[in-house]
Amino acid sequence: MIDAKGVCRVFDDGERGRLTVLDGATLQVADGEFVAVVGRSGSGKSTLLHVLGGLDTGYRGEVTVAGVRLDGLSDAALSRFRNETVGFVFQSFHLVSGVSALENVMLPARFAASPPADLEARARAALERVGLPSHAARSPGQLSGGERQRVAIARALFASPRLLLCDEPTGNLDAATADDIVALFKQLNASGLTIVAVTHEDRLRAAASRVLTLSGGRLS
Amino acid sequence: MSASVWPLVRLSLSRDRRSALSSTFGLAVGVASLVFFVSLGLGVGRVVREKVFPVDSSLVEVVPASFSLGLLGGGKLDDTAVARLEALPGVSRVFKKMNVRAPAVTIYRGDFFGRPLHMGLEVLAVGVEPDFVKRDVLMGEFVDPGPDKPIPALASTRLLEIYNKSFAPQRSLPQLSGQMLTGFVFPIDFNRSFVTATPPSASSIPAQAQLVGVSDRALLAGVTIPLDVARRLNRTANLDDVTFTAVTVQTADPSAVPLVVEAVKAMGLSVDDQERRMAENAGAAVAISTSSLALLSVLICVLAAFNIAHAFSAAVRAREKELGVMRAVGATRAALFRLVLAEALLLGLVGGLVGTLVALAAGLALDATATSLLPPFPFKPESWFLRPPWLLAGGVGLGVLAAAGGAFFPARRAAATDPARVLAG
Repeated sequence: MIDAKGVCRVFDDGERGRLTVLDGATLQVADGEFVAVVGRSGSGKSTLLHVLGGLDTGYRGEVTVAGVRLDGLSDAALSRFRNETVGFVFQSFHLVSGVSALENVMLPARFAASPPADLEARARAALERVGLPSHAARSPGQLSGGERQRVAIARALFASPRLLLCDEPTGNLDAATADDIVALFKQLNASGLTIVAVTHEDRLRAAASRVLTLSGGRLS
Repeated sequence: MSASVWPLVRLSLSRDRRSALSSTFGLAVGVASLVFFVSLGLGVGRVVREKVFPVDSSLVEVVPASFSLGLLGGGKLDDTAVARLEALPGVSRVFKKMNVRAPAVTIYRGDFFGRPLHMGLEVLAVGVEPDFVKRDVLMGEFVDPGPDKPIPALASTRLLEIYNKSFAPQRSLPQLSGQMLTGFVFPIDFNRSFVTATPPSASSIPAQAQLVGVSDRALLAGVTIPLDVARRLNRTANLDDVTFTAVTVQTADPSAVPLVVEAVKAMGLSVDDQERRMAENAGAAVAISTSSLALLSVLICVLAAFNIAHAFSAAVRAREKELGVMRAVGATRAALFRLVLAEALLLGLVGGLVGTLVALAAGLALDATATSLLPPFPFKPESWFLRPPWLLAGGVGLGVLAAAGGAFFPARRAAATDPARVLAG
C-alpha cells in the first residue's frame, strides 16, 4: 500500500534557519495493515502523514501510495488521489460549521471528478457505518466530541478509500469515547481498510498491528 | 465548476447572512442608481431629440449667404444653384423652399371646435415641395389647387403641442389633435399686415387655407403650403418668385453631411444649423448630466466592490481550516478559486437584479408622480425614462462584474491555502 523511501522534509524556520523534520524516513505498509506511528511532539508525525496523503509536496524522496507515485504529481492529479484513494481523520475533527452532518459527509463528492448519483444514500450509509444513522440533520454544534469525530470518520470513508490517515484521532476525546473510536478503527481495519495513525495514545498504539517510532527524522 | 459545488456556495452564503446582505445592498444601491439615472438621461434625451428639437441628421438646410461678393453668382439660391446642389457628391435629393414674401394675416371669427373664437394674427407662410412633407399629409394632394380653392396647409407639430399645453388651457380652448385639425378651414389675407409701417403696394389677396395635417417639417410659427402656391402668390404681389428662401438637402447618409456642408460653403451659400446646434447643445447638456450621475453610480459600485473584497478577505481568513479540509478531501486550487468567486458572483447577480428592479420601480413611481402632480406643459412626456434591454442587462452585469472584481484576490488567497499548514496540530 505504502512505499516511502528516503523522505526528507525541511522547513524554513525564519531567523533560526532551516528545520529538518524528516531526514530520510523510509516506510513500507502492506495492504490491510494498521500502523501506529509514535514519537514526541514536533518529531514530524503529522508532516509524515501529510506527505503520505499528498497534502505536503515540499519534500524530497520517493513516495508511492496505492500504486500512485506522488512526488511530481500535478495539483489536479494529487487532488484526485486525495479524493479517491485516501481519507483523513484529524485531531480537531475539522467539520464544516453551520452545515449538517450529512452535508459534511458528502463534502468529498462536491469535488469529485464524477460525483456518484446516489451520494446522499452513500453518505447516510457512511453515517450508519460509524454508528450515527440518526444524526444526519444535526450540525457540528449539536454533536458531542465523539460524535463529531465519527462524522469526520464517515466523511473520510465516504469515497471508499483504500487508506485511512489519522492524525491524533483520539487526542480531543475523553477516555470512554476514545475507546469507542479505537474500536471503530479496529472494526474498519478488520474489514480490510489500511490505517496509518500517528498518536500519543497507548490505546491506539495497542490496537495497531505494528508500531513505528519517529525520531530524528527517521522511522524505526 | 461542478454543479455539485453550488450547494456549498449557498450554504456558505447563508452561514454569514449579515456580510452577504451588506455586500448585496452596496451593489444594489450602485446598480439601482446607475440604471435609474441612465434610463432617466436616455428618456429626457429622447424627448429632446424627438419632440423638442426633432432634427433629421441626414438633412442640411441651405440658405443664401448673408454677405456675398456675388462672384460667379455665389450666394443666390436660384434654379442654377439648386442644380449644382443636386450634383454634389453624397446628395440624394434637394427640396426647395420659398417664403411668401408678402405679409399675411388671418382674422377668424366663428366656431372653433365648439367654442367661439375671435382672433387676428400675422401669419408667415412658406412654400415647400410636396415630396418634402408627403408623409404627413392626411387629406388630398399637397399641390396648388388654383386661385379660388382653399390652399392646403400644414401646421407644425411643435406648435400644436405648445397650443395644447400652454395656449389652450389659459384661454379655455379645446385640446386638439392633428386629425381633428385636418380639414379645418380659415381665412388668410396675403399682402396685408397689422404691423407694417408702409402699406403694401397692391391690394390684399384674400384666400382660404385648409389644414391637411401636422408635420415636424412644417414652419413653427406659421403655415407650410405647396411651393407652387407660394410662387403664385409672390408673382401676384409682384415680388420675387424665382429665388428660393432655402433649400433642404438630403444626404444619402448622415456621415456625408460634413462634406456636403463644406461644398455648400464653397458655393458661397450658408448652412442654417441653428436648430441642429440647439439640439446638439440640449443633447450635450443631458449627456453630461447623465454621465456625471452614471459616474457617481459606478463609483458606488466600485466602493461596493471594495466592501466585497474586504468581507471576502476576512471570510477567507476565517475559513482557512475549512478550505484546508476541502483541499484534503480532493478540492483543487482552481476549485477553491471558483468556489469563492461563485459566492461573489451569486451576490453580484442578486445585487444586480435587485438594483435593476429597484431602479425600474423608482422610475415607474416617478412617472406616476409626474403624471398626477405636474401640470401639463409643452413636450411633457408620458414617461421620463427609456429602458432598453441592454441597460437592464448592463445593470445586472455591472453587479456581477463588481462582485467578481472584489472577490478576485480573496479567491486567489483561498486557492493558495496550504492544507498541510492549516490542518497541522
